[in-house]
Amino acid sequence: MEERVVLSKKFKLLTYVLIGIGVLSFALGFVFDAKRTWANYLLNNYYFVSLAVGAAFFGAIQYITQSGWSAMFKRVPEALASYFPYAAGFFVLMYFGMHSIYEWTHDEVVQHDHLLQFKSPYLNIPFFFIRVVVFFALWIIMSRLLRKLSLQEDEHGGMEYFKKSERYSKIFIFIIAFSFSLFGVDMLMSLEPHWYSTLFAGKSFIAGLLHASSIMALIVILLSKQGYYKQLNGSHLHDFTRYIFMASIVWGYFNFAEFMLIWYGNIPEETMWFVKRWEGTYKILFFANIILNWAVPFLVLMPRKSSRSKMIILPVVLLLIIGQYTELYYIIWPATVHEAKFGLLEIGTFLGYAGLFAWVVGTALTKASLVPKNHPYLQESIHHHF
Amino acid sequence: MSKKYILGVFNDEATLVDAFEKIKAKGILPTEVYTPYPIHEILEGMGKKTRITHAAFFYGLFAAVGILSFLTYAAVIDWPLHYGGKPFNAFPSFIVVTIVATILSITLLTLFTFSARAKIFPGKKAEIFHERATDDKFVIVLDTENLGDNAKAVEEIIREHGEVE
Repeated sequence: MEERVVLSKKFKLLTYVLIGIGVLSFALGFVFDAKRTWANYLLNNYYFVSLAVGAAFFGAIQYITQSGWSAMFKRVPEALASYFPYAAGFFVLMYFGMHSIYEWTHDEVVQHDHLLQFKSPYLNIPFFFIRVVVFFALWIIMSRLLRKLSLQEDEHGGMEYFKKSERYSKIFIFIIAFSFSLFGVDMLMSLEPHWYSTLFAGKSFIAGLLHASSIMALIVILLSKQGYYKQLNGSHLHDFTRYIFMASIVWGYFNFAEFMLIWYGNIPEETMWFVKRWEGTYKILFFANIILNWAVPFLVLMPRKSSRSKMIILPVVLLLIIGQYTELYYIIWPATVHEAKFGLLEIGTFLGYAGLFAWVVGTALTKASLVPKNHPYLQESIHHHF
Repeated sequence: MSKKYILGVFNDEATLVDAFEKIKAKGILPTEVYTPYPIHEILEGMGKKTRITHAAFFYGLFAAVGILSFLTYAAVIDWPLHYGGKPFNAFPSFIVVTIVATILSITLLTLFTFSARAKIFPGKKAEIFHERATDDKFVIVLDTENLGDNAKAVEEIIREHGEVE
């Protein structure tokens, strides 16, 4: 079953070009509009780390539930999780941009603001970066551990690796759920430190799972178009789309519940966040988020036939990729850049990150047999049908 | 109950599907198959396609539209009242009611649809072919009238893995 992905020269060249575009956009951006560029930096960092976290979570769930169907594809979440070290580097470098995007880092603002003083034991720069380092250390250690066990299983076989992976996964999901919730609050919610929402962490967490599942479905479909994953059938696709479907419903529910309770409660501290986002472009984005992340997947992927067809899954997944971007844009821009500016800078930086991410994931896929060997559920996965 | 049936009773899915395929290969369609859980080959082999999911979807659609328009009519057009400083058209608060009531409508309507299609009604006398057909056994029911000359052959197929009653 040895089957290795070979990255074509074209693919590598494309990723290099995209990374080049990204570097160039950042360089020009820092010269002309540093504040907006830092906002872009935060958005893209968060975007791609949420995919990696979602994929790591997905991989851990597969071990815990002892899922048969996904055994064949477990290299894909592993590859996505290999982005963590890069993301860690990027987030630590955000140190230099803190003052441009986070209001609570300005001492003179905090001095005149009781609420920020009250929150300062948690929201201060040293503790912020301690948290970043601890979270990334945990994610990197745990995902490396699972990856190592998975590679050892390829070599030696036997049940013990699977059992160990399952045990570590049980720890890992708790770590992810706790740390990524705090991470979302740190990175996104603290952009507007006066506002708070209990559902925010849950929403950003499920958004990670939603978009990671759609990216994984995309990668699997693209690989099968290149001639890999010959055993891929409609049932596998159906299971991928079930994840997308489920996560998009949960996302829609959280998004609605957050909005509805704040709207109904009508407490000025809470509503101001939405009031800002109820004008102009942001109002359009508010509805675009709901359509892209919930309505389209929900309605299109509902029939059995369409959730098994690559031709239908692909466009839905592409819309979801845009959906995660608009959602983060909707959260970050009103708090940092204020005006809804969208131009070459946004496109260029996103392409740069996409190129880097594709390169990291592609390289990680080449490093091990694409279809794992000796996985106890491998045969079940290959013959999966329902 | 003047009709005569042959029953094939099996212990597991694989043998049932195997016997089922062989009987089908003879050109005979069993009258009914009882399984503890849905099995795909049987559903397809019996030529039965369920349309209840479509029915449920349309019930849901109509229920959602109907309930929303009723709420709008009642609270906005016919008898506008101020509640807690909200606008008359308090759309977000309608959604929760709509979701819950839609789920109730779908459940009840599909239950009635299913009962009507399956000809089940309260007080109906159940036709029990085999005591454990709704338990852990896999049962194939064949009408002897349809079998004609093949009865012996079918019995043999069933006997391979299961038992005939």
